Amino acid sequence: MKRRLSVALALLLVFGLIGVAQAQALPFKIGLITGTVSQGEEEYQAALKMVARYPGSITHVTYPDNFMNEQETVIGQIVQFAMDPEVKAIVVCQAVPGTTAAFKTVRDIRPDIVLIAGVPHEDPAVIGPVADIAMETDQLRRGPAIAQLAAEMGAKKILHYSFPRHMSMELLAVRFQNMKEEAERLGLEVIEVTAPDPMGDAGLPGTQQFILEDIPRQAAIHGTDIAFFGTNCGMMEPAIRASLEAGIIFPEQCCPSPFHGYPGALGIEVPEEYKGDVPYILEQIKAKVAEMGRSGRMATWVAPVNMVFVEAGVDLAIRHIQEGLDFSDMAAVEEAIYEATGVRMSLNRYLDDSNFYLVLAESIIF
Amino acid sequence: MNQVKRLVARNAVPLLFAVVCLLGVYFAKMPGQFLLMEIVNRVARNSFLVLSLIIPVAAGMGLNFGIVLGALAGQIALILATHWEWAGTGGFLLTALMATPLAVLFGFLAGTLLNKAKGREMITGMVMGFFANGLYQFVFLFLVGTLIPFDNPRLRISTGPGLRNTIDLFRLKGALDGLWQIQAGLFVRIPVVTFLVIAALAVAIWAFFRTKLGQEFRAIGQDRHIAGVAGINVDRNRILAIIFSTVLAAWGQLIFLQNIGTLNTYNSHEQVGTFAIAALLIGGASVTKATIAQALTGTLLFHLLFAVSPRAGQTIFGSAQVGEYFRVFVAYGIIAISLALHAWQTRSAAKARLEEDASA
Repeated sequence: MKRRLSVALALLLVFGLIGVAQAQALPFKIGLITGTVSQGEEEYQAALKMVARYPGSITHVTYPDNFMNEQETVIGQIVQFAMDPEVKAIVVCQAVPGTTAAFKTVRDIRPDIVLIAGVPHEDPAVIGPVADIAMETDQLRRGPAIAQLAAEMGAKKILHYSFPRHMSMELLAVRFQNMKEEAERLGLEVIEVTAPDPMGDAGLPGTQQFILEDIPRQAAIHGTDIAFFGTNCGMMEPAIRASLEAGIIFPEQCCPSPFHGYPGALGIEVPEEYKGDVPYILEQIKAKVAEMGRSGRMATWVAPVNMVFVEAGVDLAIRHIQEGLDFSDMAAVEEAIYEATGVRMSLNRYLDDSNFYLVLAESIIF
Repeated sequence: MNQVKRLVARNAVPLLFAVVCLLGVYFAKMPGQFLLMEIVNRVARNSFLVLSLIIPVAAGMGLNFGIVLGALAGQIALILATHWEWAGTGGFLLTALMATPLAVLFGFLAGTLLNKAKGREMITGMVMGFFANGLYQFVFLFLVGTLIPFDNPRLRISTGPGLRNTIDLFRLKGALDGLWQIQAGLFVRIPVVTFLVIAALAVAIWAFFRTKLGQEFRAIGQDRHIAGVAGINVDRNRILAIIFSTVLAAWGQLIFLQNIGTLNTYNSHEQVGTFAIAALLIGGASVTKATIAQALTGTLLFHLLFAVSPRAGQTIFGSAQVGEYFRVFVAYGIIAISLALHAWQTRSAAKARLEEDASA
């Protein structure tokens, strides 16, 4: 009886400790700002996960859905974190326009706060020096990588859907350039398609409708051995749906992730306990794609990259504050991201004078 | 008692908005310092833009959605100023000087167009804003680097023609705000010079309506045909009103951007028209009547609501995103109610006048 009790007590202690390791309060606070689910489900879910992991230590707020127009509110939401003396770090994902201005103000009034940006929309040369660390998918290496993947999946042509405002983003413009060069080397033709800007007069529905209508049209002209690539998040769900229907190739999304567009397009309902569960969703997508007879035509990254940015952002901040992690040590940051999220990312420094990192992960073909 | 009732009825819109704002302040439980900082910043940034709307309203041209053109003129000047590395207050004044002829030209073109669309100025102005935006994108995304020689690596996209989507205005940031700031508390810095500039504009507008030209604008605003019969050159004056408004908007946009410190090359101007107009309407102005006091209270109330509503929504619902949806719902809902209240007030005022006439 006594032994059983002691075993039980020991077990209780062990599980208790694990419990603490999973949900622990920090001696300081971190301000975390993401979009709402209408802009990106992943960042929001990842943020909720962080709030649960560090109860009471993460202040989570959202930026306006209409962030392009309500930039002053974006700035206000970020700067407000600095008013709380307990806040020692701010993580912004995605770092929508206004983040640079907000970071500058925070630096001005609270120089001790660590500033972390995921997926910056503003020019790298502008936001890079202001943030302590910024992370973005490796657009430069992705250009050739997408072309190679498309060729591997059997594509003869690549359709690149974008619009002028996005092509004015330095990294996206270079990615497109690199994609074209690699495609030419591989003997693939790149077709540039201009879609309506979701921030324009027709709004997001205008863009989505265009994608739904244009993919079958292109498939009728060029055959089904064409690969879709679009630069805007709102395009992804209709694009996946239309690609599956038309039978064309879909190598990856703008922000590669199994959660981006796939669940909605395939009608996968994720039960509460599997929210944010990567192996589960990969399995579900594979089954659905196979069911539709499109195996080998659809792909994405194994890691939901925006979720990784939120989780890694929070953990990098903690390690920087508690253990003095040096953000300019790329290998250490890479290791810290792996330890925090269990995802192996390959980092690449973009600018010499700032910690602006570009990351790449493995692809999975369903 | 009747007087109080009339006062409330006349100011129903700003009063309703003020009540909602106070509720927001109560629920948001924001640090007072932050609230003050937000309000000071936002009012300093936006007042000039909102004031630029008053003159066309008085001239009977409704709310000038075309101030987007003025904002564009300001931004074009800023892009050039960044290219030539103008800095500090001198650079800022030079930028404002450079923006002026551009704004005059845009205002002249806009005014000429609006004269062809009398009575439909607002929708014409709005569509004109969309058109100008397209033209601006065409110039700065396509022509710059192709037809227009321009190869500043800090401003141009490295792979093709077109400007980068963000331009760092670090040389001009705070060029006006930073001249003289009063520290209030730990974080709040009141940009005295910016407020003085706003005050000077308010006085200038007040004085302008006491000049002959100002009176002519008023007369045109009252009744275009009678003014014409009385010998006022209606078309010329309407163009002038739009030019004034456009130039002021260009300067207003410069004041806004020197406070923010970064220019979103293709987006910074987009919200200018709608937000400034919303602020003016909330102050109790209407399509036919707008005063300086209405512009300033409107700016204060509109931005107070936008400052407190995100956190208010969050504390009421306990969820970050439901808070955001609630905020959008309340903020824009109230603006819609304000507009409906206007229509109702105008009608009841007309009815009251009729009754007065009948009893007399």
